[in-house]
Amino acid sequence: MTAGNRILKDRVAHGGMLAMTIVGVLLVAVIAAGLYLKSRAVLDSTSLWTLLCGSEWRPMQGKFGFLPFLAGTLWVTMLSIALALPVSLLTALFLTEYARPVVRKCVFPLLDILAALPSVIYGVWGVLVVVPWISRRLAPLFVDFSTGYTVLAAGIVLGVMVVPLLVSLFIEVFSTIPKELREASLALGATRWQTAWKVVCRKTLPGIMASTVLAISRALGETIAVLMVCGCVIGIPRGVLEPCYPIPALIANNYGEMLSMPLYESALMFAALLLFAVVLVFNLASRIVLNRIGCDNS
Amino acid sequence: MAIEVQKLNVYIKGNHILKDVSLTLPERQITCIIGPSGCGKSTLLRTLNRLIDTTEGVRVEGKVLVDGTDIIGSGAEIIELRRKIGLVSQRPCPLPMSIFENVAYGCRINKMFKHRRQLVYHVQRKLKEVGLFDEIKGRMRAPATRLSIGQQQRLCLARSLAVQPEYILADEATSALDPISSKTVEDLFVSFKQQYTIVMVTHTLHQALRIADNVVFMYLGEVIETGPASDVFNHPQHELTQRYLSGIFS
Repeated sequence: MTAGNRILKDRVAHGGMLAMTIVGVLLVAVIAAGLYLKSRAVLDSTSLWTLLCGSEWRPMQGKFGFLPFLAGTLWVTMLSIALALPVSLLTALFLTEYARPVVRKCVFPLLDILAALPSVIYGVWGVLVVVPWISRRLAPLFVDFSTGYTVLAAGIVLGVMVVPLLVSLFIEVFSTIPKELREASLALGATRWQTAWKVVCRKTLPGIMASTVLAISRALGETIAVLMVCGCVIGIPRGVLEPCYPIPALIANNYGEMLSMPLYESALMFAALLLFAVVLVFNLASRIVLNRIGCDNS
Repeated sequence: MAIEVQKLNVYIKGNHILKDVSLTLPERQITCIIGPSGCGKSTLLRTLNRLIDTTEGVRVEGKVLVDGTDIIGSGAEIIELRRKIGLVSQRPCPLPMSIFENVAYGCRINKMFKHRRQLVYHVQRKLKEVGLFDEIKGRMRAPATRLSIGQQQRLCLARSLAVQPEYILADEATSALDPISSKTVEDLFVSFKQQYTIVMVTHTLHQALRIADNVVFMYLGEVIETGPASDVFNHPQHELTQRYLSGIFS
């Protein structure tokens, strides 16, 4: 092969890869622009403030307040992460710092299976196990009556869904720590726990944060499993034993129905845009935090 | 007290790495372990503070007596043993924390001081011992990774000294350093031999010649020759030692 041919192939490969990258990035911009254009109608008729802070949802009267949905989304997501984070962190620490290779070999495929399960299976598990447990066992300890279809049920189901993803990410992050760093700590008389907590976790803090943000982004958009157990009742939840209605559930439940209603489709598109914005803002904010931590920790 | 190794055999994933190693590492002296790559020098060193335990598929047989106590076996107090035997590794490995915290880390986990003032004084003293204090005086809170490689290695040495060990193990501690830093660290080891028993793995024969009181020559997992440095270097008994010292293989 001549040098000219090789250089031409290199340029074509470069151009092709650049084009694919641009397509990927543009796709995000196109989705955002499309959602914005579709939301224009509802944005023109109602102020952004009213849309974001209003809690009245009466599509027939053209009243669209997204606060209950926004609150539901944040409640469920934060609860799921609060439940999943310690479990995932300790599991990943155990597997990387304590477990024998044979244990790792058995657990890793199981985690992969859990991560690959369709979300509807988690939803069914939630309906069959978590919801009745909350309704019959847990809720009676705190409130007079609960159907079990609550923020807590959605948080637990979503948390369980997020655990395999978080564990895999944390294991990847912890594996980047050189053996010498662990040994430097052990050689000073540190226990394995002290080494894991004070050296491994400290060193990988930016990675732990980045993994958690990824998991939160995944949790924010999870639809089917949450929809099946959250209760889908419009209202701002005042506690974990109340039902909620997260944004993805709102869109999945209503898109395609009653679209003849004026502004209804536009309102649902605005809901999607809102979800998009929440994920975007969250990711940007976390990137700023990560950069700061990265500087301090280097 | 000296370290005494008796009939030590180490297997890693079925491979016989150390074969019937028996030797004495005299106290308050520098013992250099020399030998070609892969002869088991580092494995021997890592067995002395049981860091070998972190290696996958390892099996250790024999005895290692530290202060008369056998450290091989499940009954050994590994945490206390490791505090007692400091380690300086080949490449400096600062912990992900500030310069001050790096040295204070071992003191904190071993709960050595009740008051912060005592800890600060102790950390400063150790940094002075390795000649680093004046260089980093105003930057104690800066991340340790911002130091030069030579400074990082001295910091690691200060960190090891901070937990008040009785022995220091050095695994080619100067091989990653520039000549000036290497000389500084080497001089430190020489100055410390009055206080600590030092066991040093080295690839550089010249370094062993300069600083060793005793030499252990290893080849393919066996101790071929051991004795005072002047004897081993000037009158090697074994043919392999003679060939190694004359540079026929390395």
